[in-house]
Amino acid sequence: MSSPKWLVVARNEYRVYTSRIRRIRPHFPYLMVGLLAIYVAFIAPAVIGLFIDDLLAFFLSQVAVAMVQILLFMIFVYFTILPITYTLKDTQTELLELFLAAPIKPSDVLLGEFLGQMPFYAIAVTVIAGLFTAILAPLGLDMAQMAMIIMIFAVTFFSAQWIGTVIAALLRTRLGKTARGRDFGKALALVMAFPMIALMYATMGGGLLEALADPGTSGMVKTALGWLPSSWGAEVIVGFASNPGNIGAVGLETLTRFGGLVAFFVAALWVGLKAANRAYSIEPTTFIASRAMPDGAFYKTVKRLGGGGSFGTLLVSVFKDYGRRLENLSKIAYVVGLLVLMNVFLGDPEHPQYMVLEVAPLIFSVLAVFVVGEVTLRGKEGLFIYRKAPSGVGRLVKARLLHGLLVLVPITVAVTAVRTMLIPNVTYASLLTNIGITVLIVAANVVLALGLSLLNPAFTAKSGKFNVNAMIAPQLGFVILIISRSNWGLYIPLIWFVGIVFLYLGIRKLSRIE
Amino acid sequence: MKAVIKSEGLSKYYGKGGEIRAVDGLDLEVYEGETFGLLGPNGAGKTTVVRLLNGIIKPTSGTATVKEFDILEQENNVKRVTGMLAESPGLYDKLSGYEFLEFMGALYDVPGEILKERIDELLKLFGLHDRRDHLIEGYSSGMKQKLLIAAALIHDPPILFLDEPTSTLDPRASHMVKELIEELADTAGKTIFMCSHLLPVVEELCDRIGIINRGKLVAVGTVEEIIDKSGKQTLEEAFIALTGGMVESELLAWREQIVQP
Repeated sequence: MSSPKWLVVARNEYRVYTSRIRRIRPHFPYLMVGLLAIYVAFIAPAVIGLFIDDLLAFFLSQVAVAMVQILLFMIFVYFTILPITYTLKDTQTELLELFLAAPIKPSDVLLGEFLGQMPFYAIAVTVIAGLFTAILAPLGLDMAQMAMIIMIFAVTFFSAQWIGTVIAALLRTRLGKTARGRDFGKALALVMAFPMIALMYATMGGGLLEALADPGTSGMVKTALGWLPSSWGAEVIVGFASNPGNIGAVGLETLTRFGGLVAFFVAALWVGLKAANRAYSIEPTTFIASRAMPDGAFYKTVKRLGGGGSFGTLLVSVFKDYGRRLENLSKIAYVVGLLVLMNVFLGDPEHPQYMVLEVAPLIFSVLAVFVVGEVTLRGKEGLFIYRKAPSGVGRLVKARLLHGLLVLVPITVAVTAVRTMLIPNVTYASLLTNIGITVLIVAANVVLALGLSLLNPAFTAKSGKFNVNAMIAPQLGFVILIISRSNWGLYIPLIWFVGIVFLYLGIRKLSRIE
Repeated sequence: MKAVIKSEGLSKYYGKGGEIRAVDGLDLEVYEGETFGLLGPNGAGKTTVVRLLNGIIKPTSGTATVKEFDILEQENNVKRVTGMLAESPGLYDKLSGYEFLEFMGALYDVPGEILKERIDELLKLFGLHDRRDHLIEGYSSGMKQKLLIAAALIHDPPILFLDEPTSTLDPRASHMVKELIEELADTAGKTIFMCSHLLPVVEELCDRIGIINRGKLVAVGTVEEIIDKSGKQTLEEAFIALTGGMVESELLAWREQIVQP
């Protein structure tokens, strides 16, 4: 008898996800179970043991339910958006035809995709559940309570993963058929993480714990999050902490909350399977092709800034190719948003200049890589077009530099000006000084980022080199900041020097790329 | 002769009010054991026809049967009796060639004991056996195409739909695939429905051809019949006459706009 189709798809998904370790694939499950057993039995209790008194006090405190609700909500959202962002980053519909041509129901494909990924989510669930059981075990929880906690985590997070898988499949079908849709997907993938980051920063430095200590705030959070299935297990877990070894004390609560969770999972599963037909279709969604509008005042200005003539046209082409990708615009929004969140939640009101002059340029160095790193991202063929043209390499470097500066400098000026003006009693002189310093640093970062991107070229968006460059740039900036001890007279020439060296090496590498 | 593919008024419209007619009232019969070629310019509707006949998309109106199975009512049976090589298909880059064929075989319910042997034979036939454990991401486009043809054959279907089967292959592989198509039709009695832009390939392999333009089937018959009906000398001329082409005098018109330095 042949295997059920969902199992065929699940096995295939599992193979795809484990392709990097396919030499040890047959042993992987045993290896993982062994490692997780060691983690749950020894590592998690040992790590938790270092903070056990504080953690136990926390679990028995006023803020416990609200905080556990927030934690579970964050993990629930993370598990939901993970399959979505994974799909949106690389929306492919070509494989759909493979399934649609085969005798298989869409619901089997969807279930198979979910189950194929499940082992990896199960690892994360075990890690999280292991931490919680390690915290609560010293209180004297019995096996039934421990098992219930693990089941709560499993049902909660697998529900989240299922919802994420269904949404991802629907979005893939909706967005994957057009270049515009795929671009929108990539843009969305980046900004989707934003609420999570905001919540994380709020927890780290926003005084969330202190706020929850207030019964009013705590009650408000509990009521608001209490409606969400992610929260239903929180009260059970905290109830167990208050009644260790006595599951009957919170029996009714456990039954209703856990029962609710299971019912939610079953309902989500049913709705998802019903929606599967919509998630697997290659019917075109639109026939409207994106059209280029005639050049407006912006492109005419850019052309003039490029000296008009053929170089101006070249510069405008670079701008158009960059600006017409939503993904690029979302990267700008992401970096600027990140900076805003850092200022709101992590900023030190006593040292406002720190955020303006030290943190912002480091964050903008990442944006510099995002902007000028585009230079190689469309593949070698794109570079060869320039290499083939007379003086092409020089013109490419010049155009990319100018493009990077024209994108980053206005953003730097605006962000620095707004943030500086929020400092009490700021003078025009310090406003201009701040703008001058940040612009000089960011301009050097553009030079450095271009050199770095040519030296360590990422030829596809999937290449890890792009992200590596985005990490190297701020780290280099940070090292130079440390060396110069935040002395701008030293920092600015140093970062320019490093930038120019990188650019020189990058141009040399560019001529040798084959 | 018995028709194994039969369509009546098969249509697929898109857009508001159905103003885009991808396939428009297709009446077609393809007979058992014949190799039928569907020709047409880009965007003529060839791929849509293949997708409709494989139950991948639903028609706006009309119907069709494949091996007497209705494409709307018996979609799964249609899929079981057909193998399909899509024009721009997806592949699991992170699977090896062997793993991919194993997956495809399981999707089409090929029993395990037959499957392993068949995969080995197909990989040998297409010269991929040495690379069977290599990930597909490392395959050349020709190797990928060969793997996809192998995948279309994995359940040994009586009817094969091949959309541009030789377009990405080198001459040697192309020759092998052409011989395979001939063998599949002549010896194994398969019915082959192929779409191609390569007129010599179609001329060489197909018993009959159909020419589709803007969703409408504008000619059906043997190559000789189509040439005769169009009053031209070659299939290429007949194809251009039926689908429209550029006048030779227009070919260098663009040079008149060059400003001499």
